[in-house]
Amino acid sequence: MTRQQPAERPFKRLSPLTPLVRSFILVVAGVASFWDDILRGEFGPLAWIVLAMLVAGAVYGTASWLRTKYWIEADELRVDTGIVSRQSRRIRVDRLQGVDIVQPFVARMFGLAELKMDVAGGGSGEGSLAFLSLGDAQDLREVLLSRRDAVRAGLAPERPEEPEGPPQPEQVVARLDLGTLLLGLLLSPETVVFAVLLAVLGGIFIGFGEIGGIAAVVPVLGGFALTQMRKLTAYYDFTVLTTPNGLQVRRGLFERSTQTVTLPRVQGVVVTEPLMWRSFGWAKLDVAVAGTGGSDGDGGPSASTVMPVADRAVVMALARTLLEASGSPDPDAVALSPPPPRAKWVAPVGRRFLAVGIDDHLVVSRRGVLSRRTHVVPHARVQSLQVHQGPVQRRLSLADVRVDSPPGPVAVLARHRDAHEARALLDLENAAARTARSV
Amino acid sequence: MNELFAPPGTDWQPVSPALARLRRALVLVAAVGLLVVLVVATLLFSLPWGLWLPVVAVLLGVVVWGWVLVGRNARSWGYAEREEELYVKHGALFRRLVVVPYGRMQYVDVQAGPLEQAYKVASVHLHTASPGTSARIPGLPAAEAARLRDRLTALGQSQAAGL
Repeated sequence: MTRQQPAERPFKRLSPLTPLVRSFILVVAGVASFWDDILRGEFGPLAWIVLAMLVAGAVYGTASWLRTKYWIEADELRVDTGIVSRQSRRIRVDRLQGVDIVQPFVARMFGLAELKMDVAGGGSGEGSLAFLSLGDAQDLREVLLSRRDAVRAGLAPERPEEPEGPPQPEQVVARLDLGTLLLGLLLSPETVVFAVLLAVLGGIFIGFGEIGGIAAVVPVLGGFALTQMRKLTAYYDFTVLTTPNGLQVRRGLFERSTQTVTLPRVQGVVVTEPLMWRSFGWAKLDVAVAGTGGSDGDGGPSASTVMPVADRAVVMALARTLLEASGSPDPDAVALSPPPPRAKWVAPVGRRFLAVGIDDHLVVSRRGVLSRRTHVVPHARVQSLQVHQGPVQRRLSLADVRVDSPPGPVAVLARHRDAHEARALLDLENAAARTARSV
Repeated sequence: MNELFAPPGTDWQPVSPALARLRRALVLVAAVGLLVVLVVATLLFSLPWGLWLPVVAVLLGVVVWGWVLVGRNARSWGYAEREEELYVKHGALFRRLVVVPYGRMQYVDVQAGPLEQAYKVASVHLHTASPGTSARIPGLPAAEAARLRDRLTALGQSQAAGL
């Protein structure tokens, strides 16, 4: 009984520092708590236990590192892991949606990075290699993405190639400075609403002479400050670059993350203009990419954000870049029209901010009182269309028109249109989407 | 029928009248169930039978109202197969019209629960990459549901568009 042994492959290993980085906190805690004992050379029983655990951990970590191999074979990235029960994972390169590089704080101190692969329909833990040196991670990403494009174009090379020559040119198209980010966070709708709430509550407490009641507000204040701090650290040094594989976003203070937006997979964009930003002419840009339907609605930093705050001109230029697959149309060039005046009976405040427009490439809707949001979807990315009409709307001869998109921040919705216009809008958009699909 | 929900060229295909019968049966079963609970409660706690008149009157009112509502809703359903899209409209009070291109279809569901099987109907549900797409047609005769599923699948394959 001889088992066919697979031929030796040119596999690679993760960085040898991986076990140390993974258990860095434990190692530091262990060493720190018995630092005095170690210096004096007197080991108590507890110190021995901790030492034994550290040694066992080191052995396990090293074994795990030895057993973890990855290599590219045919059109698959293969990852073998596991000490006792072995796992072999194959990730097809042509199924990759995108490859992100994340550098958690500890890994960053050692110059290491984690490679995260977005696989269509896969869970978050599906494809991840941790940790590689930053250079290796970047090289592997380039190789994976260029092989994916090659496979998709039907030009699969016979065997994996190492990247040749100098790395592809990258160009910084936008960079967020700290001042703008701080002011942007300070003037964000969340902060404004929170400040008003705090002032009202504080006023009530002081008005009733219950100064002590303010203490009740402190935890809320802390939670809010924490959220804003998370945004600050996540969006710190926000840089957008153009690369051969698409638009790349690099961000983060402690944890650096690198995300690449594959332009042909862009489903639409959202430009957000909060009330307080408009005097500065600032806006925020989010993108919807197929397969990364993020529903992280906890108010924290979002992975869909391509620019947290910037001049509107910069944001619109980025938006045009993102819509490259549809011929880089300008969302601002789309003529928007408001709903009829009688819509004030169903949307007394919001009516003035509602608008919709269609041009050759895009369907655009705008809404929002405090935060004006402009949703943009190319005709070629429209999933399905809907018309809704409630009883009150029917009496007023109004209707909503909805454009369905894959899960994500983008949702074009034309509210309270005239009923005749709504159906015309539906038919017009349907015809435009049909033409765009067949191209 | 108003212009907003006018058929797209071809007439709206209605769903099976069995849908109304099925839902009316549900209304009746619920009403009878409630009645049984009331009788048991009256006997157990020896409540005065005088309570019965208003209770039965209200129950009867609800049943009649449900009867009419179910009929209106079942009549409101309609679908139309065009060259490249499926149109579905429904709702009497809150009206909806959905247009789904065959090329955007990810998969088609045909469902028939025990009650639906008893009435020989099934519902067809069309899914796209967007969870917002609400293209569901209930109360199709079983044969029609199977035909629609096969046709949609075939059209979806031949017209498939990338994401």
